[in-house]
Amino acid sequence: MSTFKISTKSMLAATAMLAVMAPLGLSAKTLVYCSEGSPENFTPAINTTGTSFDAARPVYDKLVEFSRGTTSVEPGLAESWNVSADGLEFTFKLRKGVKFHAVKDFKPSRDFNADDVLWSFNRQWKADHPYHKVSGGKYDYFGDMDMEKLLKSVTKVDDYTVKMVLNEPNAPMLANLAMDFMAIHSAEYAEFMTKKGTPEKFDQEPVGTGAFSFVAYQKDAVIRFKKNAAYWGEKAQVDDLVYAITPDPTARYSKLKTNECQFMAYPRPADLPEMMKDKNLKVINQSGLNIAYLAFNVQKAPFDKKEVRQAINHAIDRNAIIKDVYLGSGQVAKNLIPPTMWSFNDNTKDYAFDPAKAKELLAKAGVTTPVEFDLWYMPVQRPYNPNAKRIAEMMQADLEKVGVKAKLVTFEWGEYRKRAQQGEHQMAQLGWTGDNGDPDNFFFLRGCSGARPGGQNITKWCNKEFDDMLVKARALTDMKERAKLYAKMQEIQKDEAPDITVAHSVVFEVMRANVSGYKQSPLGGHDFRGVDVK
Amino acid sequence: MRTETLPPETTQAAIPAPPSPARAFWLAFSENRGAVVAMGILIVIALAAIFAELVAPHSPTEQFRQFSKVPPFWMEGGSWRFLLGTDDLGRDILSRLIHGARVSLAIGVTVAVVSVLIGVVLGLVAAFQRGIIDTVIMRSMDLLIAIPGLVLAILIIAVIGPSLTNTIVAVTVVSLPRYVRLVRASALSELGREYVIAARVAGVGKLRLMFVTVLPNCLSPVIVQAALGLSEAILEAAALGFLGLGAQPPLAEWGAMVGDGREFMRSNPWIVTFPGLAILITVISINLMGDGLRDALDPKLRRT
Repeated sequence: MSTFKISTKSMLAATAMLAVMAPLGLSAKTLVYCSEGSPENFTPAINTTGTSFDAARPVYDKLVEFSRGTTSVEPGLAESWNVSADGLEFTFKLRKGVKFHAVKDFKPSRDFNADDVLWSFNRQWKADHPYHKVSGGKYDYFGDMDMEKLLKSVTKVDDYTVKMVLNEPNAPMLANLAMDFMAIHSAEYAEFMTKKGTPEKFDQEPVGTGAFSFVAYQKDAVIRFKKNAAYWGEKAQVDDLVYAITPDPTARYSKLKTNECQFMAYPRPADLPEMMKDKNLKVINQSGLNIAYLAFNVQKAPFDKKEVRQAINHAIDRNAIIKDVYLGSGQVAKNLIPPTMWSFNDNTKDYAFDPAKAKELLAKAGVTTPVEFDLWYMPVQRPYNPNAKRIAEMMQADLEKVGVKAKLVTFEWGEYRKRAQQGEHQMAQLGWTGDNGDPDNFFFLRGCSGARPGGQNITKWCNKEFDDMLVKARALTDMKERAKLYAKMQEIQKDEAPDITVAHSVVFEVMRANVSGYKQSPLGGHDFRGVDVK
Repeated sequence: MRTETLPPETTQAAIPAPPSPARAFWLAFSENRGAVVAMGILIVIALAAIFAELVAPHSPTEQFRQFSKVPPFWMEGGSWRFLLGTDDLGRDILSRLIHGARVSLAIGVTVAVVSVLIGVVLGLVAAFQRGIIDTVIMRSMDLLIAIPGLVLAILIIAVIGPSLTNTIVAVTVVSLPRYVRLVRASALSELGREYVIAARVAGVGKLRLMFVTVLPNCLSPVIVQAALGLSEAILEAAALGFLGLGAQPPLAEWGAMVGDGREFMRSNPWIVTFPGLAILITVISINLMGDGLRDALDPKLRRT
């Protein structure tokens, strides 16, 4: 019922939109994107979900940007930068003449400058910053990327020069700065909101320097943006950008078919063959920078025994999962990182599907079968996992054959992650989509600092050798040296088997055939700069 | 017995003997052809459910991985091995339907029986005790009715967790108020009748009065309600299963089969069609049979 209500609502909103725009004549070009959910707010620094990042992306720029459709870093609001020989000092030269958006009651009086950069760092970094506690004051990404530990100082040299000093060299730092949480906000707008007495509104009605400016947001219905004509970079091709929020994939597909939207988020694999046949639609795909895995909780017996973990690895037929759940649009994951990423180690020895071997290993570990374990599955569709329940059912059937009964368990999505991070599970499915294209961004998921209760390493596996190399590789700048360490780490991980690396998915994007200029991001986000509708 | 003692010629001439109650019921019931057909279908489904292991061609949980999404035998690419095709994980749909019938009927029957038992006791107690006990029982039933059935069931499942037994508990709680109110109302109308007063005067104890004197006379609406309640219980359990809150995998359950298969509605429609049809046919049959029961049991509607 609720999906029906939402889709009617957003449909009404979209129709209302069209009615408003009709008098503007043919010149106004609109791109409607059927998105999958409502953002919590429009400040990426306080969010962790792709849905919220997608909603904020049109509005903001970062110091450096991922060039569209790749993971390579290019100049953004920083025109150029220098890194000192020891890798500790970064000097950014800022772009001149960049204007913040003028919205209905706020008109910026000055151009973008170093104060805005400092403001954007300090809000997340300094507990005494006036905005640090606004809107909940939790900066998960800033914390998870170890920014607090890494940053020594960020200072303004002059209005258009910013100097950043680190405590230790950190190879992925530049890529971190291109991530959504490092979006640059307007310090002037923040001050304006404080004066008005509504600081929370700062996160609800965003002002940035991006290719689109924010117009309106109605929860569960629609987000409206319009073209920023004064944009410094590649200008938007459409005049209006609309996110029609449509949680049900079937409803999104119907809207795309009827041209109510021109682009849709997350198509269902089962619908793809039909979409590909449709001449009015265009389907593009790319192997995603992602991983779906089954994590064992190594702190709970009998998963503290390596043999048990290896046995389960042998017991599960991942090829069948790729065929029946991913419907072929994925590949069996050998390592934690996908094969397209640098430092991928092809020499690791993967576990073959071998129930007999699994039984043998279980017996060797002293596990008496039949035995029952909990197997958790996510309640939602993810880019790396189209249907966790179905995977769980297949694993259940496979495990049954080696004498292991799996009890399927799930929770509401937020609760699920919280409990898994607390380590309440025995076996739990989860996954990861890369944020910045650096291997470190994957391997930290098995590091010791994430193994604390509440940390992102839900295997709770803390291997000294692995973790030492992880920390060491992070401080190196020589890519070859780093790749060597990562290759070794992949071998350790495979042998120790704190998890089953299930699959890397292929990510599909579907749009109307008249949409051009879209570049699919390997990082999974949606970016509508330079996208045109004919 | 009497017909045997009488000479044959007299029987033919005289008014025919009144049929036994069972026979009278059957005569009235069989006039409704729809109800008879429905009962036939239900008997077949019930037999299949009881002897599922013997009837089903495969195990309901066996995943024939190389045969996933095989269409039913009459469609192109179908095979006689899987008469109604296989689902997305290669499980035989027919076998799952047969085993699912067991789950659905078990839920329906258990819910109907348990809620009739509890409903009769609560209803009679409310009707006989009146006063504060009556108020407490009936107001709490009003409270349950105030919340829409499915929402209440979801609420209960959210508290006690999803499983087959908990589905039965939730659906029972949801359907209970109707029985309590029905029993109380008809018991109250019986209480003023002469035969009850006569029994009272004769010094019959309260328990005997409740269960032996009054209850049999309130029973026929309860039976009809139970028959209809059976179909509602099956539907509600299927709805919970559809939402993933009912029977948990790998158990085959019709509602869950529809829920899990709905993404294949366009590409492989048989995965949802057959469990959907199974629910439809069963529920319609039960309702038709319930109608027939009502017609047959209600003296006002009986043909004279």
